[in-house]
Amino acid sequence: MKKIHTWSKMNLSRYTYIVISLVLVLSFAACTPAPTPTAAPETSTENEAPVAESGWSKEYEGTTLNFIAEATLNTTILKELLPDFSEKTGITVNVEEAPYDSLVQKVVLDFSTHKGGYDIISMPYEYLGSFAENEYIMPLDAELSKDAASVPGFDTDNLIPGLWEASTKWKDHIYGMPSNSAVMMMFYRKDLMENEQEKAAFEEKYGYPLAPATTWAQYRDIAEFFTRKSGDTLAGETLTQDFYGVSLAGKRHIATVLEWFNYAWTYGGGLFDGAGQLQANADANVKSLEYWADLTAFAPPGYTSATWDEVTAALQQGTAAQAITWADTAGSMEDPDASKVKGNMGYASIPTLNEGDKKVAHLGSWIYAISVDTTKKDAALLMMKWALSEDVQLKLSQAGGLPATIAAFSDPTLNEQLPYWKQTMVSLEESRIRPRIPQWGQISDILSEQLSRVMVKEASPTDALNEAQTQLQEALKDALPVTAE
Amino acid sequence: MQMMSNLKQGSPASGSWRTQFYLSRNTKIAIGFLLPSIVLLAAIILFPIGYSLALTFQSYSLVIPGKTGQWAGFENYLKFLGDKAFWAALGRVGLFTLLAVSFEVVIGVAFAYLLNAIRFGRRLLTSLLLIPTILTPVVIGLMFNLIFNAQFGLFNYLLKLAGIQITDGILNNPSTAFAALVAIDVWEWMPFIALIMLAGMQAIPEQPIEAAQIDGANGWQIFWQVMMPMLRPVLIVAILFRAAEAIREFDKVYILTGGGPGTATEVADLYLYRVSFSNWDLSYGATLGMVMFTLAMVVAVLYFFITVKRGEEQR
Repeated sequence: MKKIHTWSKMNLSRYTYIVISLVLVLSFAACTPAPTPTAAPETSTENEAPVAESGWSKEYEGTTLNFIAEATLNTTILKELLPDFSEKTGITVNVEEAPYDSLVQKVVLDFSTHKGGYDIISMPYEYLGSFAENEYIMPLDAELSKDAASVPGFDTDNLIPGLWEASTKWKDHIYGMPSNSAVMMMFYRKDLMENEQEKAAFEEKYGYPLAPATTWAQYRDIAEFFTRKSGDTLAGETLTQDFYGVSLAGKRHIATVLEWFNYAWTYGGGLFDGAGQLQANADANVKSLEYWADLTAFAPPGYTSATWDEVTAALQQGTAAQAITWADTAGSMEDPDASKVKGNMGYASIPTLNEGDKKVAHLGSWIYAISVDTTKKDAALLMMKWALSEDVQLKLSQAGGLPATIAAFSDPTLNEQLPYWKQTMVSLEESRIRPRIPQWGQISDILSEQLSRVMVKEASPTDALNEAQTQLQEALKDALPVTAE
Repeated sequence: MQMMSNLKQGSPASGSWRTQFYLSRNTKIAIGFLLPSIVLLAAIILFPIGYSLALTFQSYSLVIPGKTGQWAGFENYLKFLGDKAFWAALGRVGLFTLLAVSFEVVIGVAFAYLLNAIRFGRRLLTSLLLIPTILTPVVIGLMFNLIFNAQFGLFNYLLKLAGIQITDGILNNPSTAFAALVAIDVWEWMPFIALIMLAGMQAIPEQPIEAAQIDGANGWQIFWQVMMPMLRPVLIVAILFRAAEAIREFDKVYILTGGGPGTATEVADLYLYRVSFSNWDLSYGATLGMVMFTLAMVVAVLYFFITVKRGEEQR
């Protein structure tokens, strides 16, 4: 026994070394260093500012701006257009693309440590309240007024007024300009709605003609009607895979929270009552959630892990008849390389509870803002104005992005080319904003958990919203009543 | 004579005295060499721990105005005691660790035994076996996200080929989602245990096994009563590392389920992450961090105590 023990003791140390080195190697392998923004030195010229023939100032030639934006199509297009800006102004822009969560984290850490790593950012507007109150971003009232110096093709009158104000105004100050005019609307399969056979069958079953839904009751009927099994017939063709009446986001994710707001608002609900008090478990909210939970019967399997990405994929691959989703995914429906439904998709306003009710569309725009820690404010401002100038906005639209100017939305060629163009503008006019208070992160987190519980049938809508009310009451105790949303 | 008796009686003592003397001189030199690293490590490890500890007594948020580090006393700790969601998450990660590590040990030891038994192609098989362990956890998460996709995932496809038709994805049901995460963890880390156990098995001297064979022990008895006691120290170290790692489970859950469906897979570190980086309540996040740190320490100390104690018993 002693011999064995001596052996194991002796070898333990050897194995400990083996194990420790293995663990160290593995942990190093698993750790990927987070990229940090690199602040490039500013080399502002002291020479007299040359103004090119084009009307663009070269005053900031040699300056490098660090810019962070969400990794979306809009940013990709902007990145491709940026050489034009550099050529006109001599300013170089380093673009960093990041997904939503990661972008917010990077920006908050940079701002709170006052590192000045980012000069200009594109941020989701729900963080406006927080960033403005914490003085992370600078108010730009004077800089964006009509009298301020402009650049060719830029005019503040051209910005969609509702969109501009809703997304960038916080307590009487303007903090930037819209960078992405995302808004939610209803996508539906136009070809199915217009099919004579389907129209006749629908009318026979439901007693009214088949048409794009304007009320939630119709939306549900259409969802039920078009949910078919593989082997069934759809618009005269035999299905080789199951087809679903609706696609929706049900993952424990912000996508689910944002979609639900459309139902809640059209049912007359919302998070706060007229006095700014919390009403998460209000009757209208519960009813809207009950309606939404019932709709899941007609959704593709896996909706409990679906975000806007899966909703887009289901529509694009032609496996769902309708959805409430983001206008900035409409471009991908009309993309001949990626979409099976090009030309067959219709776009309309989000249905309401009763016919004739006020239309509502959830606004999801992003905004350009300038860090208070930047030393290159004027160059950043120049870039912001360039991005919102008419030429860039048109090119952005042509490439499938979403602009923020009236001129781009009323462009006749674009209206002819893009079937979703007119509706996007209509939805922007109907848009409503989610709370932009500093506690938004907690609100989103609590709601995504509780909505997900309903989606997986772990809790009833009443129980989930009661729980949300309790948790939100605690999270918002210092913020109530909410007077500025 | 006196010298002789000194030599006789005191040789072990003088030996240890000499060893001590040489060690302490060596130690001085060693400390001299190690000091810069020790100071650096202390700065890297102790400072953040100290800072986090200080944060736990404050009210600090990066997005909510007015919470800039005000003294909050034990408010965060009281909140933690009454935080049902965190306790539930802690319970979940406890169950996750217990299940994952148990399966990893059982399957890992079995794999090691098989690998030890074969002579041809062992090196190749061992290298292949290691692939899951060397993959980045985030990549594993993304990979299984596709495999478990309800509509076009490989898993549902294979089930369909086998004649089993399931309507929903495995990650979309609370209980199967949790089971799937355990299974992925076992897939990822079982080879780690297998490799360590294989190294242990290969180092076992042949004499005790031969002796047992001569005494008429069967294969199971040799494995369980001769090999396992010798492998125990190695196994305990392996379990210790795996448990400390599994308690901090985050990447795969974050990518695959985000803690859902509902709260089914919300483990403690994910909850902590949400508190710190979704809600931006850094002081409460630090408090939960201290709790997790203490827990991991308790586990480590416990294991250490057990290994040392058992070693002494054997002596």
